[in-house]
Amino acid sequence: MATNSTLDRNAILAARQALQPVREGGWLGGFGNLFGKEMGEWLRTRRWLWQTIIWLAIINGLIAFIIFLIPAIDPSQAAPESGNPPLDVMALTLFFFFAVIFGSIGMVILAQDEVIQEKQSGTAAWILSKPVSRPAFILAKLLSNAVGGLIFIVALPALVIVGEVYLAAQHGVPILPFLMGLGAVLLTIYFYLCLTVMLGVLFQQRGPVLGITFGVILGGLTTINFVPQIAFVLPVQMHQISFALAQGQPLPPPAIYEIVSTAILSLLFIVVALWRFEREEF
Amino acid sequence: MEGSNNFVIRTEGLSKSFKGTKALDGLNLQVPKNSIFGFLGPNGAGKSTTIKLLLGLIQPSAGKATVFGYDITRDSVAVRRRVGYLAQDPRYYEHMTARQTLCYTARFFYRGPKEMIETRAEEMLELAGLADKADRPIKGFSGGERQRLGIAQAQINYPDLLILDEPAASLDPMGRHDVLEVMERLRKYTTIFYSTHILEDVQRVSDTVAILNHGQLIAEAPIQQLLSGDGGSTVYTLTFKGDVGPAQHRVASQPWVQKISVVAHEGHITWQVGVTDAEAAEDQLLRLILEDRGVRVKSFERKTYNLEEVFLTMIEGSK
Repeated sequence: MATNSTLDRNAILAARQALQPVREGGWLGGFGNLFGKEMGEWLRTRRWLWQTIIWLAIINGLIAFIIFLIPAIDPSQAAPESGNPPLDVMALTLFFFFAVIFGSIGMVILAQDEVIQEKQSGTAAWILSKPVSRPAFILAKLLSNAVGGLIFIVALPALVIVGEVYLAAQHGVPILPFLMGLGAVLLTIYFYLCLTVMLGVLFQQRGPVLGITFGVILGGLTTINFVPQIAFVLPVQMHQISFALAQGQPLPPPAIYEIVSTAILSLLFIVVALWRFEREEF
Repeated sequence: MEGSNNFVIRTEGLSKSFKGTKALDGLNLQVPKNSIFGFLGPNGAGKSTTIKLLLGLIQPSAGKATVFGYDITRDSVAVRRRVGYLAQDPRYYEHMTARQTLCYTARFFYRGPKEMIETRAEEMLELAGLADKADRPIKGFSGGERQRLGIAQAQINYPDLLILDEPAASLDPMGRHDVLEVMERLRKYTTIFYSTHILEDVQRVSDTVAILNHGQLIAEAPIQQLLSGDGGSTVYTLTFKGDVGPAQHRVASQPWVQKISVVAHEGHITWQVGVTDAEAAEDQLLRLILEDRGVRVKSFERKTYNLEEVFLTMIEGSK
């Protein structure tokens, strides 16, 4: 340990006087610092760059390939008599499908380690030995990933798709319906974020977390063909609902149930995660 | 809220079971303010469990405890605001640097300008001897460097109570020496409650000691008291020449004498006299022996034990 300090003692004294003790307690104690750190993981590391590249490539790159490159190679594909929908409709259909399905899978991958890794590595125990409330720990994880998902999975690709549609059809997209469609996409990926974080609290290993979440995403897509009632509970048709909203089309009654149920289940997952994490032992 | 007296930690019947197995069984402990309190016990004795209970990382199965008068279950955040903690195997975010880790830790306790937070972190980096490694990611740190960082982050809030779980376990002799030095330096500012199995360290810096075995407290006393007695009695060692048979009879008949062990070696006789009343022994023991003119006393001293002897005796006795 050092004994000869090279630090200016006046600076130390000034720091001691300038620093105010944090007094906030209660169920959000330490939230600001935790959230700042979590957002730093998104924005102050290279994660933002990778996420930008990944989502623009997966969503907008694939759409660009389908609406620009294929017609260029085979012009008959873009002709009205081909039976294919117009390019702008095709672009938006693909956008909402990719955003919902790939976005949900991406959110699960991003969030699956958030709690489990901290429990396994011991960093959660370290953080919780500081004046930090347990709900703040979980809510910081949820909110930071919600913001990250909003920016990189939804907002950036949405901005680019507006440009792609304009290039393909020489007109823009109706903004309000489009934003409502994006709202449905966000609701879906937040559902999977909440589910993943809850499972991360409940389990000690990644296997069950990934198994259950991917089971709901992929199983839901296939089960809907045999058990259509599943759409009343789980967000299995949200890609169609979001597209319909973006097109200003009326929603069929099951869609309303699906939206409401997705929102309620997301809140329930948060409540269960907070309740269980409060009882977790480190 | 402050404790009504000079005890920083108080536990009453504190117990913890894991799946039916008792890790801690009715612990009653009182840790005096500004003490360096050594918490001893073999592996699995319940030391880390006690520390985790005090910090709210696990919940008690029975009993209660307060730290600075705050209940460890209801007011855990308030407890942690005044405590610095170093875990047995400290873990941090591997991609962060030591400086980032300390700034992050500091912001749980303080708000203020960024440069002031950084000055606080810098102060701790110097204290821990990590100033030259401040901007390296932690993933490249050795065990000793992690431990130093652990001590730095535990002190970032000028804690009134420093809880250290095996602080010197992974350090080389030089590192151990440094840690003990820091502990001694901090004695006047803070109370230090630390667990260890390095008895030599305890004997060097602790003023109060508790010994735990199988989740039960088997001794708690100031270290000098513990080292001066053997299971509650005091022992005097005498070496003489001459015929001490009559003297032995006289001494053994005293009500304050518990036992006399006799060893003869190279013309000298050594007695170990266990007594219940040290004052009576110091006043009368030599007089009783010297009544015989042929006896020549070579040495007379109160026996002191080293902590290892006391520890092993107590652990064996508690089995």
